[in-house]
Amino acid sequence: MAASHLLDDREDDGPNGSCQVMVMMEERTHPQATPCGNQVDDKPKSTKRLQGFRKALRKNQDYSRISKPSSSQLPSEWWKTGIAFIWAGFNLVLTTVMITVVNERVPDKSVSPPLPDKFFDYIPRVEWAFSVTEVNGMILVALWFVQWLFLKHRAIVGRRFFFLQGMLYLYRIVTMYITTLPVPSMHMDCAPKLYNDSHGKIKRVLQLVSGGGLSITGSHLLCGDFLYSGHTVMLTLTFLFIQEYSPRSCKWRCYHGFCGLLSATGVVCILVAHEHYSVDVVVAYFITSRLFYWYHTMANNQALRDSPHNYLNRTWWNWVFNFLEKNVKTPVPCTFSWPLSLPYVCFKNPCKSYSMVQSARDE
Amino acid sequence: MKEVRLWTCSDVSDWLTDEGMQEYMDALQNVDGPALLKLSEEDFKASPLSLVTGDSGRQLLERIETLRFTSHMKAHKNNNHEKSHHANGHAGIALANGSVSNGKIPNGIPKNGLHPEPIRILIPSLPEQERTPYPTEWFKTGVAFLYALFCFLTTTVVISVVHERVPPKEESPPLPDKFFDLFDRVEWAFSICEINGMLLVGLWFTQWLLLKHRSIVGRRFFFIVGTLYLYRCVTMYVTTLPVPGMHFKCSPKLFGDWEAQSRRVMKMMAGGGLSITGSHSLCGDYLYSGHTVMLTLTYLFIKEYSPRRFWWYHWICWCLSAIGIFCILLAHDHYTVDVVVAYYMTTRLFWWYHTMANQQALKEISTGNLFSRVWWFGPFQYFESNVRGIVPRNYQLPFLLRTMTSARVKYSKLDSRES
Repeated sequence: MAASHLLDDREDDGPNGSCQVMVMMEERTHPQATPCGNQVDDKPKSTKRLQGFRKALRKNQDYSRISKPSSSQLPSEWWKTGIAFIWAGFNLVLTTVMITVVNERVPDKSVSPPLPDKFFDYIPRVEWAFSVTEVNGMILVALWFVQWLFLKHRAIVGRRFFFLQGMLYLYRIVTMYITTLPVPSMHMDCAPKLYNDSHGKIKRVLQLVSGGGLSITGSHLLCGDFLYSGHTVMLTLTFLFIQEYSPRSCKWRCYHGFCGLLSATGVVCILVAHEHYSVDVVVAYFITSRLFYWYHTMANNQALRDSPHNYLNRTWWNWVFNFLEKNVKTPVPCTFSWPLSLPYVCFKNPCKSYSMVQSARDE
Repeated sequence: MKEVRLWTCSDVSDWLTDEGMQEYMDALQNVDGPALLKLSEEDFKASPLSLVTGDSGRQLLERIETLRFTSHMKAHKNNNHEKSHHANGHAGIALANGSVSNGKIPNGIPKNGLHPEPIRILIPSLPEQERTPYPTEWFKTGVAFLYALFCFLTTTVVISVVHERVPPKEESPPLPDKFFDLFDRVEWAFSICEINGMLLVGLWFTQWLLLKHRSIVGRRFFFIVGTLYLYRCVTMYVTTLPVPGMHFKCSPKLFGDWEAQSRRVMKMMAGGGLSITGSHSLCGDYLYSGHTVMLTLTYLFIKEYSPRRFWWYHWICWCLSAIGIFCILLAHDHYTVDVVVAYYMTTRLFWWYHTMANQQALKEISTGNLFSRVWWFGPFQYFESNVRGIVPRNYQLPFLLRTMTSARVKYSKLDSRES
């Protein structure tokens, strides 16, 4: 091949140096949508070298190893994921406590009838709709969990999920507590009020936590947690995460569409079952999607984080964000790996991309 | 680098290597500079060149053409220094880096054997408007203003519609609210809120008049305010909250009486929805609070587009805003959740919009830019595509005042030059 011929010729030539093939890594400021399974593309460029460098290019040392930016720029840091998990768990428990408190303040159905709601005017109640919601929710959570297990950077992604979930439940605590909406429909039977019975209240909290707040498990008896809807939060959040951390090829788009459909039907069924007001669902969707986009845009754009004109860091949780994402320098690429670490087969054979240099070396 | 005419065979080889055309090196190893410049398509049809070329030498010929050109310019520059007879019309076009400005290179250089035809290079001159990084584009501001007006009108209509659906106080008593449990109602508090609101709007308007880039900033204000009121329409409409306090006197319902309803809408628009002007008699517009939106938004804009040194001014506005919001709750005129949600939406939308506007990378759709998924990304791009960079805080007297006052006194912060 002419190139290899050149390579040997040039080394003995005049002061102009030799041409060689060198693989260079480009600075990536914009994230690339790499489909799963492909490596990061490196383009070979031929550059002129200085005279001194020529001597370094002996026959057996003329390719350089480039480490992919996986280990140094995306460290696992499982302890941060643990902290995020504790944060989410804490907020979940606090939510259940708050629901128990708010249940005491819900006005009685006879005193405060359900508020007028546009959706309820048009669509009468369907009894089994809420089970559909909960089944959809459980399917989505399971799908997300399986997908998360197979992600390579599961520590980072898990951290993000727990943090966002915790935040959303925290906001929910605030909105639930400050103003108490009446029950949306006359069919709802609220658990009786336990005015000063703290023992009973604690038992209720435990029951709620163990059942996950789902009516299928029989732990959805308390009222007052209407603004905003926790079910919508889970449905939307799992869908957004599923969509974000999976490839974007055609086959996978069907999967996204399926999950989107699950999520949408789940949300609509909440309203059909008259379990939440429309405004609860609307506000929940809005807050979930905005928080998700906000967090991920901040995380994906390193330039944004360093910029002085970044207004995104005026939120109160910015310091937590910095703590969690300080060492994550690039967007998390969509790569999958087995949950249990197996040795990578391709590490044994790194020379596939360097065939041109390899052949030059052998000649 | 020497002139092409003086190149030796090895120089030619080096050049071929540089250009990435090593395949020609063997065939052209006896070719020196002038011969290289003489290469033409015919040479590529015969061997040995026809054997190594893949595209009949087209690429190489193009490169040689460029080489010819740059070498001509260099020759030109050298000749000009010597004041040779080339001074016939080459109006000093040859610049140090060999680039050409708007001009022609007429005939008359027989020596080098180069291309004798004149080459005209036109530099597209952009209109004045596009070359500044902050073009004024009042048309876009007008569009934003119409959008805001439309949203205000929609809000008023929706309030009027919702008013019909508010359950009467007797049927649906005020909902339990934590703030109301802690603080009793104070009657005159709502007037304070409205006065603060009017003060803030007045201050912001004056400040806006003094800004240099008022069209861009005005556009942003109208767009954000319009969007917030549009969101408000949605939340107000889907679920109707009962009145927060028994003191409310809601106007009677006009079932189906369209004429009376439209008159009510007009009255509300004319009064701006303030109870001071007597146009705040409709109920049902609780989630979320429009007063909070205006108080918060004007404060955010005031702070954003005024100098950092005016910290006392920022503090005053902050106090006005905070006291106003507190007084809404004190007057039991809105639920606490209305105020909290309004504050949240306003601040998030403001920061979101301004972060997007300040970063060029976020103005494009990409996988890393999740901000581009909002529904208003299209209008945002329309408004902010020509704004390159962060709008500086420059001040300038409005047009009328500028023509009236003389420019004898120099204001250091006012921009006196045209740009």
